Amino acid sequence: MIKISSIRSILENTLFIWIGLTLIITLAGNALVLPDWLQVVGRSHPILLHFPIVLLLMGLLFFWIPGIDKKPEIREIGEISFLAGCNFAGITVIAGLILAQEEYTGEILTWHKWGGLAVFVGCVLLYFFRSIKANLIRFSSIALALAIIATGHWGAGLTHGEDFLLAPIQTDEIEVIPLAEAEIFGDVVQPILQAKCVSCHKEGKIKGELRMDHIKGLQKGGKSGPFVLAGDFEKSLLIQRINLPEDDKKHMPPKNKAQLTDEELLILSEWVASGASFDQKLVTLPPKNELFQLASVKFEGNKIYSFEAADPEAIDELNTSFRSVMPLFPESPALDVSYFGISAFQPKSLTDLKKVKDQVVRFSLNKMPLAGIDLKFLKDFTHLEELQLNFTDLDAEQLKIVSELKSLEVLAISGNVIDNSSLQNLSKMNGLKKLFIWQTGLSSQDKESIQKALPDTEIDFGFDGKGIIYELNSPIISQDKMIYEDSLEISISHPIKTAEIRYTLDGTEPDSISSPIYSKPIFTKKTGKIIAKAYAKDWKSSKGSESVFIHSGFKPSESSLAFDPNPKYKAAGVATLFDSEKADPPNHGQKWLGFQDDPMVLEVSFEQESKPTEVSISLLYNEGAHIFPPSKVTIQGLENGKWQLLASNSPEVSAKAAPARTELMNMNLGSSSYEKLKITLTPLSSLPKWHPFAGDKGWVFVDEVIFNK
Amino acid sequence: MEKEILEEGLNHNRRKFLSRLSLGVGSLALGSLLIPDLFSGKSEAEEAMMHALPHFAPKAKRVIYLFQNGAPSQLESFDYKPELIKRMGEELPESIRGTQRLTGMTAGQSSFPLVGSNYKFDQYGESRAWISEVFPHTAGIVDDICIVKSMHTDAINHDPALTFFQTGAQVGNRPSMGSWLSYGLGSENSNLPAFSVLLSRGRGNGQGVYSKLWSNGFLDATHQGVQFSNSEDPVLYLKDPENMSRSERRKMIDQIAAMNDLSMKQFNDPEISAKVKQYEMAYRMQTAVPEMTDVSKEPESIIKLYGPDCLVPGTYAANCLLARKLSESGVRFVQLYHQGWDQHGNLPNEMRLQAEDVDQASAALITDLKQRGLLDETLVIWGGEFGRTNYCQGKIQVDNYGRDHHPRAFSIWMAGGGVKSGMVYGETDEFGYNITENPVHVHDFQATMLHLMGIDHERMTYKHLGRRYRLTDVSGHVVKDLIA
Repeated sequence: MIKISSIRSILENTLFIWIGLTLIITLAGNALVLPDWLQVVGRSHPILLHFPIVLLLMGLLFFWIPGIDKKPEIREIGEISFLAGCNFAGITVIAGLILAQEEYTGEILTWHKWGGLAVFVGCVLLYFFRSIKANLIRFSSIALALAIIATGHWGAGLTHGEDFLLAPIQTDEIEVIPLAEAEIFGDVVQPILQAKCVSCHKEGKIKGELRMDHIKGLQKGGKSGPFVLAGDFEKSLLIQRINLPEDDKKHMPPKNKAQLTDEELLILSEWVASGASFDQKLVTLPPKNELFQLASVKFEGNKIYSFEAADPEAIDELNTSFRSVMPLFPESPALDVSYFGISAFQPKSLTDLKKVKDQVVRFSLNKMPLAGIDLKFLKDFTHLEELQLNFTDLDAEQLKIVSELKSLEVLAISGNVIDNSSLQNLSKMNGLKKLFIWQTGLSSQDKESIQKALPDTEIDFGFDGKGIIYELNSPIISQDKMIYEDSLEISISHPIKTAEIRYTLDGTEPDSISSPIYSKPIFTKKTGKIIAKAYAKDWKSSKGSESVFIHSGFKPSESSLAFDPNPKYKAAGVATLFDSEKADPPNHGQKWLGFQDDPMVLEVSFEQESKPTEVSISLLYNEGAHIFPPSKVTIQGLENGKWQLLASNSPEVSAKAAPARTELMNMNLGSSSYEKLKITLTPLSSLPKWHPFAGDKGWVFVDEVIFNK
Repeated sequence: MEKEILEEGLNHNRRKFLSRLSLGVGSLALGSLLIPDLFSGKSEAEEAMMHALPHFAPKAKRVIYLFQNGAPSQLESFDYKPELIKRMGEELPESIRGTQRLTGMTAGQSSFPLVGSNYKFDQYGESRAWISEVFPHTAGIVDDICIVKSMHTDAINHDPALTFFQTGAQVGNRPSMGSWLSYGLGSENSNLPAFSVLLSRGRGNGQGVYSKLWSNGFLDATHQGVQFSNSEDPVLYLKDPENMSRSERRKMIDQIAAMNDLSMKQFNDPEISAKVKQYEMAYRMQTAVPEMTDVSKEPESIIKLYGPDCLVPGTYAANCLLARKLSESGVRFVQLYHQGWDQHGNLPNEMRLQAEDVDQASAALITDLKQRGLLDETLVIWGGEFGRTNYCQGKIQVDNYGRDHHPRAFSIWMAGGGVKSGMVYGETDEFGYNITENPVHVHDFQATMLHLMGIDHERMTYKHLGRRYRLTDVSGHVVKDLIA
């Protein structure tokens, strides 16, 4: 059976082997040429390292057990584990030194390497001097524990990347560079060099006499020649080296090191092709440029603002039903303010915005009535970039204030009058990227002059419609009723305010010279038809719109129908004929009386002494639905107990089907000495030959019978 | 007493009650160790998500969607296929048609004769995009728009295809795009609904539109699309009755709100507070709507821009003008539907009329937004629910033919709001039947639209009936190539 003491002595002796090997590898360093099998030992470093960490820390812990000196058995466990830890530390250090020959470089490696060596040496010393003063031991044990942790951390940094450990609790705020500010070199090219080249071409390790950690070094070049020459792939060593086959000794980055990706290769080549500038902005490249397209995806199209966000409560308070105040996006301190509702606009509310004057970057007051309002407050908005003031009745004074806003990039003042002095002021706004001045009364010379004054500003003059001639819409005629009793007001309107409306009341087409111009509502006491047309400069005159108005001077005191209308189309019976309501064509069943088998025979009498002499009958024609003009209309008057024919009419049978329409049939009686009138409308007995239902009976539809004198 | 307590509990809206209960337990005991919203119904987790919207900086603030209902033919608008003219009357090769299912309207056809466009095409603008002669105004703005020729969809008939485009699913009951945006981003202008709908009808063969297309689905009723009618009252039932004063109306709304608050305390149903909000908004809309719809102050050049039809309420041109006014007033999503694009027959004649009705006003909208500096923040979309077949429906006649529904490839265009301008994206084969390059599925399109509005389509969800729903259902990729 092996005694513990003999294990201990073996372990103490092996320690010296590790110390010796460590010394050799450390001192010989790069001169060593490692056989392959040693690489395997080296690569076992990440596995081995766990043993010393655990064993050493456990051993160190034992120094802290109270009264440990009086318990040799327990002390022994601690010492053995510490000794074993020292051995493993030695093996790990050796493996680590071998591994370091492979592909690791950099500052962390240095720290890790010397930290590991220090831990190893420290442990060995502590082990052999473990019996000196307990306090000193305890102090050194803390130092050693810290060194172990630090070394382990650096090592982890090498394997997993520098920020591996704390990454989950670190805020992942990456500084996002806005596209507008990104530089080709600083923000696109340099990060690639930093990641793939700088570790060997930097202060303290200037391989090939080329320093890539600052611009001067790049401009100077290395021992073999210039680093880059604008546009010259042949002479730019950067391009040469990165494009050599990977096995070539001169290929960069060297074999075994992280290689450039295809995209990075392309970016570097395009950078040289585009001039290898060190200070050009990305946005100055044409959008179709490949470098621009490759690089622009890396940047947010949004500007990042450095100012403080406003108090969220203040922002909440500023949001009302007529004003919205919103961050550009949730984390952004920049605010976008819009006003809505013309009638709700209160000029005073503009002063509330003082609380966020530093944060407002976009401000829209489109259509708000700003006439006479002092806009000086806008000058306090130091970060205002976009201002929308379309259709706000601005005067020259207000425009002057606007034109003095230095931070503005986008200005929309369409729909305001720009006079000469305002034009001068606006022409000085050379910081503007976009200017919208549609509908501002500028002449073509004005437009040229401002575009000349602001060559870099995208100016939108909008659409003025000049030279385009369209036909005007017909005017809209409105009247309360078609059939009226006393007098009627007719008004005519047109959506285009400048349009001139001319009309006639006699059924003739209006013309642009002699027909009266409509200016105010027309009053009439007659029956007739109004035709109105609109005329305007730069427009073709409209088609005429028409409207019929019917004066109904008499209402019969008594009325009756000899035959009932067809039960399907009886509306409200005979009263329908005198309700002064003109029915719409499609409303057959509701407002029209329909007759087919029987004629309409209407008898009416009047109270008045003087009887009507004119009868108008409102009829519906719709041949497709079998509704035709009556074959015959007669009006008889009862005079001295005898029916006398006063008027008759035989309308022509329709020759083809036409859409539903109404017709007013006027008849003159020639006599007023009757007691009663009998009006007879006879439906067509058989539909004409052209009709699909030729031979069937026709219908007569009547909705109104009107009497006048 | 116990009985009363139980009743009170049961009176709570069941889902709300359960979600509250579980949230209490969840947050008390398990905190963030477990999946954060394992136990929560919607409420707080959802709420937190909502506060984080938009997810990133939006490129567009508003959308105007000019929906061409009925499916305009891509082959007579933006997808120029000279090969079809050459092969006029030839049979569509099996290899091209593949396994594509057909509608009942042409499935029985014994022959599928190829038919080329009756209209002439030409190239326009810096992008040299091909556009047919019936869209001359669109050709004039070609450098401001991005034409996508490689759209494809799952559905082959109007209703499912429309529903799919608008809600992300072919069956009804899901919220419409506009409702999702209203839910996600809210209204800019709290006096107007965030989602407005305008309808018009052309002279071609029409297909119906129905209110389910602007339905809020399972979202709160405040997110429903509000239809503007073309009558004297653009929004129905908004006017006060005669002789009712504003102050009386105010009092009435306050009283109703007080009563609703009582019910809210008792039943705790979120629908009640939605109702209160709707009354409030309707009250404010009473002044905001007439002000907004007033065209009398529009300058004459605007009327020439949109065409004189824009003064005739209910026309597409009038709706485009109104759409601009709504959008300008901060309405998040303006949805137009223009009917009449279903040219199964008589295509050369009908499509010309359809195009005549929409071409000028659609282009005018772009120019108008541009001259006000609003195009950059407004996304405009023009397109139908699917495309049309490259073969003739029925018999080909000289100068007359029709086309059936085709979901595999069709064209739309987008403009403004962070979309690349002057670009033609995607390509179809020489038969115009299959996509050969950069396909864009409806869900990709939706994802892209949401992206432009600052929303990650995978993160804007709503839990309903035990699962999370989103506009893009379970697929969709943002088409980065389309984004400026």
